[in-house]
Amino acid sequence: MGASIRRWLQRLDLVVIAVVFLALVPVLRVQRTTDFIVFCLYVLSFDLVYGHMGRLSFGHMLYLGAGAYGAALCSAHLSASPLVALAASVAIAGGVGLLLGPLVVRTTGACFALINLAFNQVGHFVVLIAAAAYTGGEDGMTAAFARIGPVDLARRNHMFVFALACLLAAVWLVRRLTGSPFGILLRSVKEKEERVRFLGYDTARFKLAAFVLSTSLAGLAGGLSALNYGYVTPSFIDPARNVEVIFAALIGGAGSVYGALVGGVAYMMISNFLPDYVQRWEMFLGLALLFLVFRFRSGIWGWVARRAPSAAVETEVAP
Amino acid sequence: MISTLAYGLTIGGIFYIISIGLSLTFGTMRIVNFAHALVYTVGAYVLMAALRARIGFLLAALVGVAATIPLAWCIERYVIRRLYGQSIDYAIIATYAVLLIGVDATKWIFGATPMPLSDPIGRHVVLAGVSLPVYRLVIIGVALAIFAGLELFFRRTIVGKVVVAGLEDAEAARAIGLSVDRYFSLVFVVGSCLAALGGILYAPITTLHPYMGFHVLLVCFAVVLVGGLGSMRGTFVAAFALGLVMALTGRFWGPAAETMVFAVMAATLVFKPIEV
Repeated sequence: MGASIRRWLQRLDLVVIAVVFLALVPVLRVQRTTDFIVFCLYVLSFDLVYGHMGRLSFGHMLYLGAGAYGAALCSAHLSASPLVALAASVAIAGGVGLLLGPLVVRTTGACFALINLAFNQVGHFVVLIAAAAYTGGEDGMTAAFARIGPVDLARRNHMFVFALACLLAAVWLVRRLTGSPFGILLRSVKEKEERVRFLGYDTARFKLAAFVLSTSLAGLAGGLSALNYGYVTPSFIDPARNVEVIFAALIGGAGSVYGALVGGVAYMMISNFLPDYVQRWEMFLGLALLFLVFRFRSGIWGWVARRAPSAAVETEVAP
Repeated sequence: MISTLAYGLTIGGIFYIISIGLSLTFGTMRIVNFAHALVYTVGAYVLMAALRARIGFLLAALVGVAATIPLAWCIERYVIRRLYGQSIDYAIIATYAVLLIGVDATKWIFGATPMPLSDPIGRHVVLAGVSLPVYRLVIIGVALAIFAGLELFFRRTIVGKVVVAGLEDAEAARAIGLSVDRYFSLVFVVGSCLAALGGILYAPITTLHPYMGFHVLLVCFAVVLVGGLGSMRGTFVAAFALGLVMALTGRFWGPAAETMVFAVMAATLVFKPIEV
């Protein structure tokens, strides 16, 4: 009985995700829920590199910011169509990933983390100072978009549905990918890259592909948040905010699509409502991170999956 | 121009002092210690607190360095050692968490407003027609002295030789029966003390603020990468080279100084990739 319900839930997971976010709307109101959805998409993109490939990026904000600024600049100079803007944000973030990827994916561990962080610092500098004439520097820039036929993304309900559709498409894509031989290869790279290379695979190419896909998705999330807010500021590319997505991936459970979604929602809940009660936010974040690292590594989703073993087909939460 | 070069050598010296600890922990354990930035910040703030008690700069600097010993020991004992042998990512995240907690505590105690410190020597010396603060020359001297001291330590003492062996090949060193890990905590504390010293020496040149460690840490990481992982002499050369790069860039376009360091790092990685 229980098992068959679970199987159905698994088959209908996209529907379940949509229903959960719809249910969040009355609690959070529409625009904030859209914000949650966009953040979940961002966590998903980060987790593709961290959870699935085992590379901790400490500079993923760069790609989010590249997407956000890509969309805003596109709307200002090229075309006001939101679709063109999103295409631009994916292309720019993917392009940045393709440019930096060959340099970045060669490294592992601490080098990977910090080279990403260094590039993020450079990107922050470019947006804040070097290209301030175009990006508006510290003030950021507004981004206005036209409608697509009957769909007006300036209206919150339309934006919500659009973002949700993007998230579902991304979930489908990532799940498809991680279930494929490509995904198995990524997980093997995480376990022991040397042996994968031994088997004759060109791991650098696979890693680059996954990295570029991840940066493109992060760019999509950035473009969507530019659409949702109607403006972009340097905080979209702020290197100090990298810890947010790491925290979200950890609390949800790294290496699982559902874990990323749970983590995204959990982090946004905490960061939206807790600062009202907790004075020292950074201290709380640090303590919570220590707790996650020492005591709660598999995250919420890993914890759930352990208690419902047959649902854990997709959740291989290996540290 | 001469003053720019002197400034470059000064911050190069400070980068060197801070980077030693990073280079050692990174070289032996492959761990990036974000808490290094915390030790640096705490050293500078303790110095300031000690200076308020009017005890003279030298004594205050000693207090600052000494205060970070227990802090570094606790970080090593309770965070890093517990994660040793596991995925490096956890060590990165955990030390970053320590940094967040520490920075917030600093903000709590001292407030978030930047605080300037005055030059402790205050005298200038005229060199080739340019007036230079004596304090900066002292910093360069201290960096050179530390370099010489470490060279002696690594070449002449048994402990130093064990550490060098661990840097070059930890596994081989373990295989011949050297307990590399036991020396690690010593190396860690010494490295952290040097970071605090770097913060103390740098404080009179810049201003104190709770987030001062973040940027310096990134630059010092670039120093370690450019110098080559596990190479102490490489770190020495890279620190001064990047200090000069920063000073020269800053002379022409101030805000770009730090970014230029990362550009140099990227270029180095393109031509001399790291295979970890």
